[in-house]
Amino acid sequence: MGIQLKHRKAILIVALVAPLYAGAALADETCNSPYTARLIKGQEDYVHVWTLGVEGLGDGSDKLVTIGANPKARDYGKVVNTLSVGGRGEAHHMGFTDDRKYLWAGGLDDSKIYVFDVGTDPSKPKLVKTIADLPKRTGFVGPHTFYAIPGRMLVQALSNTKDHGGATGIAVYNNKGGFVAKYDMPTGEVGGVKGDGYGYDLAINPRKNVLLTSSFTGWNNYMMDMGKMVKDEEAMKRFGTTMAVWDFKAMKPKQVLNVPGSPLEIRWSLNPKDNWAVTATALTSKIWLIKPDGKGGWQAKDVATIGDPAKIPLPVDISISANGKGLWVNTFMDGMTRYFDLSNPEAPKEVYTKHTGKQVNMISQSWDGKRVYITSSLLANWDKKGEDNEQFLALFHWNGKELKEQWRVDFAKEKLGRAHHMKFSAKPAARKAAAEPARVAAAR
Amino acid sequence: MSAWRAATCAALAAALLGAGSAGADRDERPPAASMPEMDYAPPPAGSYALNVIQPAPDGGVIDERGRPRRLAEYTRGRVTLLSLVYTYCTERTGCVLAYETGMELKKRILADPKLRGRVQFVSLSFDPINDSPETMRLYGGESARAGGPLPWHFLTTGSVKALKPILDGFDQEIEVELDDQGRPTRTISHILKLFLIDRQGRVREIYSTAFLQPEAMLNDIRTLVMEEDAARH
Repeated sequence: MGIQLKHRKAILIVALVAPLYAGAALADETCNSPYTARLIKGQEDYVHVWTLGVEGLGDGSDKLVTIGANPKARDYGKVVNTLSVGGRGEAHHMGFTDDRKYLWAGGLDDSKIYVFDVGTDPSKPKLVKTIADLPKRTGFVGPHTFYAIPGRMLVQALSNTKDHGGATGIAVYNNKGGFVAKYDMPTGEVGGVKGDGYGYDLAINPRKNVLLTSSFTGWNNYMMDMGKMVKDEEAMKRFGTTMAVWDFKAMKPKQVLNVPGSPLEIRWSLNPKDNWAVTATALTSKIWLIKPDGKGGWQAKDVATIGDPAKIPLPVDISISANGKGLWVNTFMDGMTRYFDLSNPEAPKEVYTKHTGKQVNMISQSWDGKRVYITSSLLANWDKKGEDNEQFLALFHWNGKELKEQWRVDFAKEKLGRAHHMKFSAKPAARKAAAEPARVAAAR
Repeated sequence: MSAWRAATCAALAAALLGAGSAGADRDERPPAASMPEMDYAPPPAGSYALNVIQPAPDGGVIDERGRPRRLAEYTRGRVTLLSLVYTYCTERTGCVLAYETGMELKKRILADPKLRGRVQFVSLSFDPINDSPETMRLYGGESARAGGPLPWHFLTTGSVKALKPILDGFDQEIEVELDDQGRPTRTISHILKLFLIDRQGRVREIYSTAFLQPEAMLNDIRTLVMEEDAARH
């Protein structure tokens, strides 16, 4: 986990005449923490897919799958590496450390956190640490969102050890994997609205010192068969209906907002002039806008409908453009990828729709918005059955009017598993230097 | 010293000291970097807790006079704000910003009687080859000589071997960038980080560029001083 100081002397000799570049503290492919460095504003070289193992398929283990993404490379659209972690723990989401060297990936069932080194050689990630003390340290289970802050990782959990319901909280670890602190999601009345204690995603606006959190459901539901769950009236009552506004510096909830229908991913506009965020509610199929209320607080507004809510299209992931003017939305049940014009965030308009798979879940766009990646798996027990259970990573090009598919990696055919969360990586020149010291020395 | 290195140092000094006046104090230079925008009132000092993030690492360092020291001597006994820098850094959102933030905080700390004698600053170089004790002393200017109620120590290390465990301990990575032909460029990348350390030598806050908000940082320092006072009574 420490710094790589191999050949440091050679590097430092080179550094004698080098001015310093400090990584800018902006978001990268539009959804990462604003404290994540080394933006990929050009062409990504690899896409890492955190993949759920499937019994009887390949080695059956959860794994990090690395796929070539650079059209100039021989491995474009090909699997270049798989790294199994040995077991199935409901692989779900990932997040980079602030220096973007390490990728933390969580299991919603076993609550393990895997730390992969993707900085030394992004084509061959290495598992460098497994953190298994989240339940013991915090009473939380289901590490979901991994969000870098300087020297630390915020981990938003989904559930708890006591009843496996939705009450949960946020854990903080340092970059070495040491536990730092825990914070319960609000359950009392805060700002006139009662918190439900649920959690899902979190996102920070540094300029406003605001941490926003959203709410999903607990282990009992997300590990249940979806068909069974939707017929269980009591289970369907156990979904989050709130978002919380926190004083990030103090890590204290300041306000709870009513956002019914399980608000999931949170995306702040990356436009420096904006002070708003959006989320999509899974059960009610709405886009909500979170913005200042003009009285020193915050408000949440239902500003758009996604598809036909009566058909429960189940919006599961969103991806905001770098300029804050557009929003991709994937709806799982109907396999649609939708683009909303966000020019007026008070009234987003769906302007493009394409069927991209029999089931679609995560969606990630490049910084320039020209490339859009889509995966298929929602949760092991919520994915469709039989022929509808497609598992893939697909790349589309977006020209502003149309999505054009470039390639699709069939995760079933390749015996990989269920394709879930994606993160991009690149081969920065700096890392080439670390990997090729002889070349550096020769160049001197 | 080779002619090449001498030339480098001369250029470095010129860059650092503006018009090339070797005796000029850095303190007199106009601010070169702008603080990150802050559109909120930070929570009052003492109204929140700063977590213990990790222990501050120890290691061999060299002070401005060339004397071997232990880093722990500079991270204990007072609230410490430590930055890792290169003297020839020109990046406005990097070391320059760290220095300007330190200068801004220095003014505010000296104006607060409750903080006088309770705080110290440390600037530690990443580059033991170029940043000699003499260079660090020049870099620090008046601040390096001042001492008094707010000492500011400008330290370096004697070798890469001595530097490595310190950088490891702070989880600070530095990398050289290459150009398209694989040749080293004049750019080293790192993430700017400043570390707030309590009098027991524990890191209690880490600031990167977006967090370098002097008003909030001052409240963090006050919070640690208040915590010390409460522990004493």
